[in-house]
Amino acid sequence: MKLTALLCCATLALSAAAQEKIIFLNEGNWQSDNGKLSYFENGRIVSNQWFRDVNGSKLGDTPNDIIQVNDNLIAIAVNWSNIVQFITPQGKAVAATEDIPNNRRLASDGRYVYVTSYGHECGNELFDKGFVAKIDINGFKVAKAVEVGYEPEGIAIYNGHLFVANTGGYAFQEDHEYETTVSVIDAATMTVVRTVDTGVINLYGSMSRSGKYLCINSPGDNYDVSASTIIMDCQAVLDGKPDTECFVTLDYAATNNCTATDGRFYAIGSRYSYYSGEYEFNYIIIDPAEAMASRGHNGVSTQWPGTVVSDIKAMEMPYSIYVNPYTGYIYATDAGSFADSGTLLQWSPQGKLIGKHKTYINPGHLLALPPDGHFDGIDDVIADENNTGDGITYNLQGIPVSNPVPGHIYIRNGKKFRL
Amino acid sequence: MKAILTSGVYSLAMSLTLFLLGSVKCYGSGTDVPADSAEVLQELEVTAGRRPLATVQKLDGARLQALSSTSIADALKYFAGVQIKDYGGLGGVKTLNVRSLGAQHVGVYIDGVRITNAQNGTVDLGKYSLSTLESVSLYNANRLELCQAPSEFASGATVYLQTRRPDRDSLSVMAGIASFHSYRGRINAQFRRGAWSGFVDAEYLNSRGDYPFRYKSQYEDTVGRRRNSDIEFWRVETALFNRGFAFHGYCYVSERGCPGGIVRRLSDKYTNIGREWDTDMFLQGSYSHSFNNIHRLKFNIRYAHEYLRYNTDYPDNQNTARVDNHYWQNDAYASAAYAASPWRFLSLNVGYDARMSWLDADLKRFSPVRRMDQKAVAAAQLNWRGIRLAGSVLYQHYKDHTRTKAGAADPLSRFTPSITLGYSLKGLSLRAWYKCIFRAPTLNDLYYTQAGNRNLKPEYTRQWNIGAEYHFNTPLWAVSMQADAYINNIDNRIVCLPMKGTYNWSMMNYGKTFCRGLNATASGQYSHRGWSFSLLSSITWQRDVNRTNPDDEDTYDKPICYSPTFSCGITGIVAWRQFSLTVSDLHVSRRMWSYADPDDILKPYDNVDLKLSGGFRNFSASLEVNDLFDVQYEHIPRYPMPGRNYRFTISYSL
Repeated sequence: MKLTALLCCATLALSAAAQEKIIFLNEGNWQSDNGKLSYFENGRIVSNQWFRDVNGSKLGDTPNDIIQVNDNLIAIAVNWSNIVQFITPQGKAVAATEDIPNNRRLASDGRYVYVTSYGHECGNELFDKGFVAKIDINGFKVAKAVEVGYEPEGIAIYNGHLFVANTGGYAFQEDHEYETTVSVIDAATMTVVRTVDTGVINLYGSMSRSGKYLCINSPGDNYDVSASTIIMDCQAVLDGKPDTECFVTLDYAATNNCTATDGRFYAIGSRYSYYSGEYEFNYIIIDPAEAMASRGHNGVSTQWPGTVVSDIKAMEMPYSIYVNPYTGYIYATDAGSFADSGTLLQWSPQGKLIGKHKTYINPGHLLALPPDGHFDGIDDVIADENNTGDGITYNLQGIPVSNPVPGHIYIRNGKKFRL
Repeated sequence: MKAILTSGVYSLAMSLTLFLLGSVKCYGSGTDVPADSAEVLQELEVTAGRRPLATVQKLDGARLQALSSTSIADALKYFAGVQIKDYGGLGGVKTLNVRSLGAQHVGVYIDGVRITNAQNGTVDLGKYSLSTLESVSLYNANRLELCQAPSEFASGATVYLQTRRPDRDSLSVMAGIASFHSYRGRINAQFRRGAWSGFVDAEYLNSRGDYPFRYKSQYEDTVGRRRNSDIEFWRVETALFNRGFAFHGYCYVSERGCPGGIVRRLSDKYTNIGREWDTDMFLQGSYSHSFNNIHRLKFNIRYAHEYLRYNTDYPDNQNTARVDNHYWQNDAYASAAYAASPWRFLSLNVGYDARMSWLDADLKRFSPVRRMDQKAVAAAQLNWRGIRLAGSVLYQHYKDHTRTKAGAADPLSRFTPSITLGYSLKGLSLRAWYKCIFRAPTLNDLYYTQAGNRNLKPEYTRQWNIGAEYHFNTPLWAVSMQADAYINNIDNRIVCLPMKGTYNWSMMNYGKTFCRGLNATASGQYSHRGWSFSLLSSITWQRDVNRTNPDDEDTYDKPICYSPTFSCGITGIVAWRQFSLTVSDLHVSRRMWSYADPDDILKPYDNVDLKLSGGFRNFSASLEVNDLFDVQYEHIPRYPMPGRNYRFTISYSL
């Protein structure tokens, strides 16, 4: 009896800790107005048209990014509808902001939402190149916008600064070249404080942040320039170090990448050449600190947990990869033939395939909701190299913990973090 | 002008739209008139008077005029087995798909010379006018006349546009006004002097195309007016005929808006303006001569020039790629065909043609491409006591030259056969045929910047058909019926797909389809004391399924997107002297447009059109009401078609 009770408790604790709540975007088909929101909870898709179910209306055309802003607010960039849609974690539409056409990716500090745009107008303001806009969630209006490079894509916030990857992706149609820069913006004043030239063109694709590190993909131009990956040290950028000391370039593609709970980047990528018509894949895990320290010689591993890589290799069209920051569960999506249902795959943190779930068209852009419903904005471990603390992990009650449980908040070296 | 792309494809979206026209299918079907009449005189066909062996539907003369149609696409939608793809509006691209083979397998011929587009392989039927035509015919597989050029054998389905030869001198002026701020004017002068005849025909159209639309469903109630859907064009045509000689010159200049799909927006603040300019012209000549009814020779030459500009760089279009691309195509063609009928029961046909196409564009990383396309054919027909057998072997050779770094595609040479067997007894004809044909990858498929794939294989179609036709004629009655059952499959479909694991799109050979169908048409006419009553009807039943990936249970053996299972059309015409009233109804069943959600369907619709026309002395006038019940429908999701609209024209002839 005692043993059974204990087992029950253990199971309960486990299931509480492993509670999976994932919202993800189905991009749909361009100009078909069929972007859809899916909600996945504890091993099943609750709905593949969650936004419609909750609100009785459509989300719009080609949703492209989703982030959590605070406990009660989630932002979605609905690209071709020219809308940033705000919803509650329960899926209820709260507000929508229209002034940022051709919006791409989102970042937030909990008070403002920052949006990259390929467009050239924001309200009454015109820009020659692309821009980043700042939405005040108190009123959902654009507070300010600043011009960056052509076709800015990925955006991350670190230490009060926005890091924006410029692509210049319209280069093959427009009268300009690909961009090679990362724009650094003071989020408070919305001014560009620095532009880091990486020398690598077209910083397009997903961009992840882990602590002070960024993982940026470059697909190259698919002709003469091959794909590569940039690992950037944001702190070095803010410290004013020379460009070359702020990043390393890895000879891999990171077309889809994400941050794992251990602070490393998971990346799946492919390199394609229009000359040969051939492409090659890589599946890598990057330790950014090690990659930076070794100037790119080390820090790249191909040792993935469990069957993740073999399952991804079996996909028709890998479209995204994601690790739940609260629980460590791994997800990836398969877009299939782009006109029929996609698939969501779920693995345990150890890489054991748990399930495959049918989605709508072109699933990608996943967002995990905090299991306890409380979003604290701490999305990863910030490793502090100038470690002056005792290195002991405490819980929020100040009691030292020897076996911290993933998904809970702890304090180490005077700083809160979530494991 | 639109393709299905995702946001991931930021750099391609707009330019790709210029050529991804072959993958989406829409539907139209309707009424036909079997070609039971004698072959038109100027064709000088030796088989004149005999019923065609091929499966054919034809509209000509009064019936063509009685239909509520101004463009060729409007007329063809009344044929069985036809799907018109239309992005809506007046300026929308209209292409034709026959028996689900895809638009690029349909050859369109003006007086026996094929209209080609080396760049994308499709013909926008909206650019050609009905007003100068004598007849429009649709042949499944190809026509089977005696003296044909190889190109006439080189498509899976064949549309013949026959230019009218003037039979008298006349001058006529027409003016029309229609809904959505549409104005049209036309002037035609024609002459006939002995064996010589000719005409000059000029037309102008200007339309704002700002029609209202409504989307109403459980999740939306969207009401709006189409914007950037205007079109303005000039068309000038001239032709000259003398027995076996024909010359035709054509020029079409247009500017149009390319409206996008209707998507969720909070306001009308952002317009996505894309505009297109086209200049299309051709000059073609043909000469045929027959020696003592045994030998026949026919020559065609043609030169065509096409210019296209697509521009999105406007001050009020500040949120998409600023594109301004120009494309130039030149095309020179010559053919020679020889036919001999040494005995009554046998005729032989050999032919050779060559086409040189040049394509240039100011895209980045694009080099001019030159394509040499040569064809040769050998065909024979046997005719013995009502049994007819026709067979042909076509040889095609394609060779491209380009300086692009990846190099040109390897030359392509293939033989393809076709065979037809027929039997006629009095009014009844039976037929069975098989045809194998491919379409070569277009220059866009092979060389387009950031999409072209020079390793593409040709896309093959194979068609099997059995059919029967029955005609019954008395002085008062004319009745005809035909029915054809068919099977076809397509291999190595050329489609644009995203590359695995990248955000790049590329042309690829991917997919197989299998299609079974039934086309049937029936028409009857009763004429008495100046009155004439006609009833034309057609039915298409078709099951077109995806046979690409046997492991994918979501898609394998499932209907091809956009392909309706059932459609039918019925047209009634009542005519008395110079007056006529036409009522037609076109029904198209529901079509799915994605495999991902059972709700992703295009609703079935019925289109009822009315046309009333009459004449008095030198004046004639017509009033049309199209989509009488204001049914909201679409061929492509989120590209609404116009609802009820009116058109009034008046003309004066001397």
